[in-house]
Amino acid sequence: MKNKVLAAILTASMVTGLLAGCGVSTSSAPAEGAAEASTAESGAEGAADAAADSTAAADTGDKPYSGVTLTLWGAGAEIADNDGTQKLLAKATEELGMTFEVETNPTGTEGDNIIKTRCASGDLPDLVDYNSGSLFTALNPKEHFLDITDEPMTANFDEAFKSCVSQEGRVYGAPFTTTQAGAVVYWKPDYEELGLSVPKTWDEFLANCDALEKAGKTAVYMSGGDTWTTQVLFLGDNYNVNAANPNFAQEFTEGKAKFATTPAALAGWKKYEDLVGRYNADSSAAKYEDGCEAMAKGDATHWFILTQAIATMIQNHPECKDKIGVFGVPGDDAANAGLTVWEPNGWYINKDSANVEAAKAFLEFWTSPENLDIYIDTFGANGPSCIKGYTLPESVCPAIREDMQSFFDNNKTCPALEYQTSIKGATCEQITTSAATGQISGEDAAKMYDDECKKSAVQQGFNWQ
Amino acid sequence: MKTKTREKTMYSIWFVIPSLVIFAIFFLWPIISSLYYSLTVWNFDTATFCGLDNFKMFFSENSLSSSVLHTLIYAFSTSALKVVLAFFIAIFLCSKIKTKDFIRSSVFFPNLVSAMAVGLTFSYLMHPTRGFFNVILNSLGLASIDFLGDPRFALASVILTDVWKGLSISVVIYIAGIQSIDKTYYEAAQIDGASGWQQLVNVTLPLVAPAQNSIIILSLIGGLRSFDLIWAMTGGGPGFATDVMASVIYKEYAYGFYGLSTAGNVIMLILISIIAFRLQHFLNKREEAIQ
Repeated sequence: MKNKVLAAILTASMVTGLLAGCGVSTSSAPAEGAAEASTAESGAEGAADAAADSTAAADTGDKPYSGVTLTLWGAGAEIADNDGTQKLLAKATEELGMTFEVETNPTGTEGDNIIKTRCASGDLPDLVDYNSGSLFTALNPKEHFLDITDEPMTANFDEAFKSCVSQEGRVYGAPFTTTQAGAVVYWKPDYEELGLSVPKTWDEFLANCDALEKAGKTAVYMSGGDTWTTQVLFLGDNYNVNAANPNFAQEFTEGKAKFATTPAALAGWKKYEDLVGRYNADSSAAKYEDGCEAMAKGDATHWFILTQAIATMIQNHPECKDKIGVFGVPGDDAANAGLTVWEPNGWYINKDSANVEAAKAFLEFWTSPENLDIYIDTFGANGPSCIKGYTLPESVCPAIREDMQSFFDNNKTCPALEYQTSIKGATCEQITTSAATGQISGEDAAKMYDDECKKSAVQQGFNWQ
Repeated sequence: MKTKTREKTMYSIWFVIPSLVIFAIFFLWPIISSLYYSLTVWNFDTATFCGLDNFKMFFSENSLSSSVLHTLIYAFSTSALKVVLAFFIAIFLCSKIKTKDFIRSSVFFPNLVSAMAVGLTFSYLMHPTRGFFNVILNSLGLASIDFLGDPRFALASVILTDVWKGLSISVVIYIAGIQSIDKTYYEAAQIDGASGWQQLVNVTLPLVAPAQNSIIILSLIGGLRSFDLIWAMTGGGPGFATDVMASVIYKEYAYGFYGLSTAGNVIMLILISIIAFRLQHFLNKREEAIQ
């Protein structure tokens, strides 16, 4: 009997010991937990401070949030390696007192995976810098992020941006930067040298490419080492799809319109066929950064890319500032050449954060025109701003202040499809890579993409039978 | 008396229970629950039953079903290459050479480096314009090969890298097998006038079969579930050209298609089990026949 009791006790202790052991090794590192605990403490202090003088702004000279550490999560290019952001973070520490701890988002599929996992496990940082539009909606924001609809700063955000960071009519995000476009970035000196003019249609564009190739130049750059970049041609074609068929996005969401059977939508996929073989020699391995480098030196003439690349190019090669131009992905109608626009990433506040007040104060600080000027003067802008009434400073390059702004002024813009519908084919970048490398035809790619979208629709609960 | 036996059985059961509990919680329960979840469209909050739709989708969609094919190609070719190449390297390393110890350790070296590091290194070496391999090809007057960017070569390039990295384990197992062969067999064969090649085919090869079987099983299963090297080198690309089941499952999970990715895992479990059991059975038969 004695043995039995002893055995039972030993067994129990072994099991609990083992389970506890497993628990520690599978959960996050203990050091992190300790750090969180300490920020939570100091956060409580900060919140108390903030409550004491909640109306006190930065200009009183007080540092209402000293002692608070805000944890941030975002892409390296946007926070850790971004001079503009670093400058503003330092300024925020100086004026508001809080310090920052930055975690880097590896971006792409891996980044999406991490943020979803962290949402599910309740392990979000205080502030998240992440895409707006469908990727944001996929996180089910109302469960995880703070509703900032009624904050005073939110009234200054333009409607197009707000619609992209909202769920069920409530706003959850503040704009990280300016808008940008999925367009063609081109090297102006080549155009001047060969006497070419900015193409208004796809045929004109191909004719320009032929002329460039004849002159021994690389007509189109592809950075296939970062697969997401291959999507820009397809996604940036949305202006043309929308121009030919204004209801496409809605019919697509309802499962009525398909890429393979809508001529204007299929055209975008066929454009990949026209470009096979026109790319740079290292097109399959070149990274986004290689593309920035090559375009800033004029090694290639065209690159289908998000205009965020311009800021990086100018940062590394300031001399290319006046030599870069932008035009929208050409369609078929010369009279209606336009630009497909991306809304910026948003800053989202973790609603369970202990530092909500400090985070709000930081966003207020971030979106003020004065600080936008500092950010843009340091890092540059990717396009016009989505803060109402704000104009870009003189420091912004002509490609954005003139080329892009003219599309906005003439009202020739359309948001990218991912802002018009929550359905996006998950393997889009693999399909566009397959099409760009000539493994499949444009039509097959369109069909494959339709199948992918169906999966996404089913997962989101749409009835697409 | 009866209570005595019962007490005895209980006594031993107490020892098994801890590991049994852990096995059930961490192995049995996940397998059973994943069987259920593979039949649903689920997220972390809800699960909707959808029958066998996930499995149908996995086999009907080209980008998914091609991954099954790639997995099989990958597993069988890496396994075959390792079994054959490692045998000859092991024979060489068991012969009377002076720098044996040094060569043995240098053969084992690639296995000490993590798959991620190997993958990244080789993807730089295979860069279409700046890569070392292409620099050599160009200096020999040959045209560059886009090892990882051309869908015709990409899978083969990864397979060869895997063989380079994984060969050493097979070599070590072979060496152990060869050294345990009784010297008297060779002496007898020599008296009978057998040549070196005849000794190799008729003495070494049959007697090393047990070691060879372990190598076949290990490298095949390793190949079937391989992920890290492919992910580091191509990420499954270009397009879907090197997607294997493990990388597809990872991606489907990342896209939020949890049901589909669970179904992929179930398919992989079944595939590996079937192949491994059949193979084990076959190899055991072969071993018995030799003995």
